[in-house]
Amino acid sequence: MKTTRVFQLTALVLVVLSVVQVGWWVYDQHGDALRKAQLQRDFYAQEVMAAQALLDAGTPEERVHEMLPRVIISEGRATASPDFERQIERQQYKEINQYVWESAFFLLALGACMAVIARALRAEARVLQEQDHFLALVSHQFKTPLASLQLSLETLSMRSLSPPEQRSLIDRMLADLARMEALVTRILDSVRLERGRVDLKREAVELSSAVARVVGQFEERARKEHITFSTDVPRGLEVFADPLAVDVVIRNLVENALAAVAPLGGGTITLAARRLNGEIELSVRDTGVGFRPDDTAQLFRKFSRLKRDSSSAYYGTGLGLFIVRRMMQLAGGRVSAHSDGEGRGAQFVLAWPMAPVESR
Amino acid sequence: MNAPLPHTPPTVLVVEDDPHLAAGLAENLRAEGYRVEHIGDGRAALEWLRKEHCELVVLDVMLPNMDGLTVCRTLRAEGNNTPVLFLTARGDPQDRIHGLEAGGDDYLAKPFHLHEFLLRVRAILRRWEWYQTSSASPAGAVLRFGGNEVDFRAFKARSFNGVTQDLTEKEAMILKVLAEKPGEIVSREDLLERVWGYDVFPSTRTVDNFILRLRKRFERDPAQPKHFLTVWGVGYRFLLEGEP
Repeated sequence: MKTTRVFQLTALVLVVLSVVQVGWWVYDQHGDALRKAQLQRDFYAQEVMAAQALLDAGTPEERVHEMLPRVIISEGRATASPDFERQIERQQYKEINQYVWESAFFLLALGACMAVIARALRAEARVLQEQDHFLALVSHQFKTPLASLQLSLETLSMRSLSPPEQRSLIDRMLADLARMEALVTRILDSVRLERGRVDLKREAVELSSAVARVVGQFEERARKEHITFSTDVPRGLEVFADPLAVDVVIRNLVENALAAVAPLGGGTITLAARRLNGEIELSVRDTGVGFRPDDTAQLFRKFSRLKRDSSSAYYGTGLGLFIVRRMMQLAGGRVSAHSDGEGRGAQFVLAWPMAPVESR
Repeated sequence: MNAPLPHTPPTVLVVEDDPHLAAGLAENLRAEGYRVEHIGDGRAALEWLRKEHCELVVLDVMLPNMDGLTVCRTLRAEGNNTPVLFLTARGDPQDRIHGLEAGGDDYLAKPFHLHEFLLRVRAILRRWEWYQTSSASPAGAVLRFGGNEVDFRAFKARSFNGVTQDLTEKEAMILKVLAEKPGEIVSREDLLERVWGYDVFPSTRTVDNFILRLRKRFERDPAQPKHFLTVWGVGYRFLLEGEP
């Protein structure tokens, strides 16, 4: 922010100096042109006088004309050409005109350079600000599980608790650790995505096995929370994307769905795929808490977490859907979200390009 | 740790949206003998506080629906002086000041030590209890000086010019501390300690600002105070009669 301010001031001073300099230059050139014109006029007047003197001394008119061709000579009299003054004025105007155009061009070029630099600086400042913001949010996100962990540990050390109480504290601490671990993974993912440091491969990925892999990872957790998975992904649908990225986006959407269903004490998550206009769509539908249609845009923003039920044991990082959107953008795909309203479930649709025939 | 008070246990409202942290706080407060209520949402907490009574609110700053600062500010604007201990994940001095300006009594940054948390809870309740006990007797409930009349129980005052003043909790407490020993010098540190607790504010300048506010409310000429006198380099002296 400070750099921008310094730049703005420097640019302003430079522009003012340049304008003054150019103004002075035009003024100076103008004076110069006037002086030059006067000199030419004086010189011409002297030529006319010299021609008259030669004529008066008896030099033949032809001879005088040869020597001083710019002077009009007729009947023994030397006179100034009426064109001469016009010619001088024209020349003078041309010169001044040229200076003005040159200065204007110079100032324009200078302005353009400044604008380009200012834009670059502003963009950089914005990036820095976003990074600061990101850092603040990240540390903020860590402090709550840390505080909970510290509280549990200090409770254990300070009080004499019954074995079941101890057990519940230990479970709580393990959950806090898992939360922080998930947070670290997602932050690393999102930072890499942000910086564009991910080299996403492009290859044919069989969607049904990717879905089966991800669902398999969450089956136990889903059973505990009375959530059933239903999958309808035909075998043989191949998307053209990075196999790891496909896993990550499906996993994030499934985790998001689990978190949305868990507070209701159970429900269903349906994953279905189909081929549509050269793309392959995978929809992840849940019967969970849903969201207001107005909040759709907010869902995919970094660290945005919509209102959640305070009794729920779910801790969102606010990064999952951000990662999904970014990864889909990088993969040339799309993600969209839809819900009929709070408490009415939600549906997320991923769309990838279909794998070309030759890559299969 | 021993129970804080022998008679009816004070009620502490824990407003924290993180279930683990809230559960940990509630368990520990209960173990100390307090009654505990828990709410995980800012707006719901405000609604609760409008209807119910508690001795202390442990208030997280980042809350769903309404942030803790707004909750506290709204409470104070509505004349609710229940002490508030802020919990927040941000710990820089600027945020501390925001919390205290919103009308908070103390401020604890996450992660914190359980011991410190309990000490602070106890300190706030003790200060508050002192204030209430000392305002309970007819002699302690009302303070009259220089044409002003202060009602400590209602947090209201009528100043010499007939204007009714709503006192903030801190203003009332400062006034209370000063009025306990009229004519004696009370140091800034003493005022800080008794009204805010040991290390809440970054400087004793805050006390000076509060004294300025009291002078504006109760002195006929705030620039030439007769009741709230500065003792240079030490603190303040309060005179009931006013300096001749």
